[in-house]
Amino acid sequence: MNHPIVPVAPERKWRGGGLSERAVMPLIGLFLILFALACLFPFWLMVVNSFAGTRSLALNGYAIWPSELTLKSYRFLLQGKQMFTSYGVTATVTIAGTVAGLVVTALFAYVLAHPKNRYGGLLSFMTYVPMIFGSGLVGFYLLVVRWLHLKDTLWALVLPYIMNPFYAFIFVSFYRSLPHELNESATVDGANEWVIFFKIIRPISTPVIATIGLFYALQYWNDWWLSLLFVDNSDLYPLQLLLRQLMSQMQLTSLNHGNVLTLPPAEGVKLATVCLTIGPIIFVYPLVQKYFVKGLTLGSVKG
Amino acid sequence: MKRLLQDLVRNRYLYSMAIPGIVFLVVFSYIPLAGHLLAFKNFQISRGIWGSDWAGLDNFRFFFSGKDWIHVTFNTLYLNVLFIIFEMIFALFIAIFLNEIRLKWFKRTVQSVVFLPYFISWVVVGYMTFILFNNTDGLINHLLKQLGLEPFNWYQTPWVWPIILTLTRIWKSAGYLSIILLAAIAGLSVDYYESARLDGATRLQQMKYITLPLLKPQIIILILLGVGRIFYGDFGMIYGIIGDNGILFPTTDVIDTYSYRALRQLGDFSMSSAIVLYQSVMGLIAVVSFNALIRKVDKDSRLF
Repeated sequence: MNHPIVPVAPERKWRGGGLSERAVMPLIGLFLILFALACLFPFWLMVVNSFAGTRSLALNGYAIWPSELTLKSYRFLLQGKQMFTSYGVTATVTIAGTVAGLVVTALFAYVLAHPKNRYGGLLSFMTYVPMIFGSGLVGFYLLVVRWLHLKDTLWALVLPYIMNPFYAFIFVSFYRSLPHELNESATVDGANEWVIFFKIIRPISTPVIATIGLFYALQYWNDWWLSLLFVDNSDLYPLQLLLRQLMSQMQLTSLNHGNVLTLPPAEGVKLATVCLTIGPIIFVYPLVQKYFVKGLTLGSVKG
Repeated sequence: MKRLLQDLVRNRYLYSMAIPGIVFLVVFSYIPLAGHLLAFKNFQISRGIWGSDWAGLDNFRFFFSGKDWIHVTFNTLYLNVLFIIFEMIFALFIAIFLNEIRLKWFKRTVQSVVFLPYFISWVVVGYMTFILFNNTDGLINHLLKQLGLEPFNWYQTPWVWPIILTLTRIWKSAGYLSIILLAAIAGLSVDYYESARLDGATRLQQMKYITLPLLKPQIIILILLGVGRIFYGDFGMIYGIIGDNGILFPTTDVIDTYSYRALRQLGDFSMSSAIVLYQSVMGLIAVVSFNALIRKVDKDSRLF
């Protein structure tokens, strides 16, 4: 075989594709911009139309920019009681649920991950199975309503989600990444596992706790399944259920060919309710986004 | 037995930490399994679960004799397949494209924006859909009228809704999925790209022949997770957007909304229980068989 002394350009294994390099990037950018705008557009519509005056809604329906802007809907909403009641319910449930969920799940996962635990495999299996074979709606309903007598209580909105297998496994993989020397040196000093957990492990776990805590908080804030099943008393309506009830009225009337103005309460008020419900999420989002990103990547890598 | 007790006592501090978790797990994930018994009984509220008469397979016979079960099963599977496929396609586009962006602020902004819909509940999405597609006041019909076209009766036309629902699923989930994919891409070795670039590969070719194939394990896991849930419809989404609009049931009613209505609106515990058991069994078969299939194709990608 001839080995030329003069260097030869490496043989091209890749043939240039149809589009030239320079056309690809702008197209990529365009796709991303369009998708991003599509993500924002519905939010814009909702916020903007919550400030729409009744005349604007009558003439143009939901518009990209209403012809008349007003604060009337918000004023009406904030004068009533329901908004504050529902906010109270949702906030209470979210805080209580997040704290309880974190405590129970973090402790449980610690035991699952602990090397001294002989039954880790069994417990893991028991935790995993409900994720694939559901226990079913009817049993769940009977449990909460008839056996625990929790219908129309705040407990029904908090308890079912406290122990979450998926989050438990995220904690488990985190704990497994910690060096066991931490435990050993503390045990030598005579500390029991509770002390070790709260004095040593917990302070290091702050990022994971923050992340899982946010996941819990989001789940509780957005949940309407539990209240749909178990709450008939409007004093206990969380925000999402309130929205749901308002909307089903809307759908019902719209099927009978009513339009926006004949729907009680006024349409702007409904939109104002929605905006106030997602408001906290939007405000908090920039701060907490990175925790969710980290949580997702953690959770998916460990699968 | 004695060794078990000895071990429990010796490590009592450790094991006691697991007690709350175990209690919740047993109470909320295992005890409700008893509800499956109702599928075989003729439930009467006054007599409770244990007092009600056995009905053998009557509930199932009734369920399968009608045509509803075919519709809701088909819808559940069909919609889930649509969702899995299209969510994945868009998530891949977003992740692979975002990976090519060098401008940090652009990348971060787009990522934040596409992730945002994940944080909204389906009830709110239901509102957004209503704002857009409402017959009299919806934005789309208004635009159609302005363009001189006939407004379309969206909420009374069943066949468009699998499309609309898929679009909303993409809207809500593609960003969130793309984050998982982006994390996987970030973990890929730079060397592949280096040598490809030296060989003259264009960006497009790199995306198609390097990034995409190397993402295969991650894609398979995500699809597997989706297929494992294929018999479970997204109740939140469908009830949140469609609600009780019976006209749209032929194309959107899934097993979960059907059994929910049987339970909460008709009070038919036995029927609801039969449907739920049917769903759980089929769901289990789906997970196990799909996992076996994956094991044949790519041994490392299986779940168990």
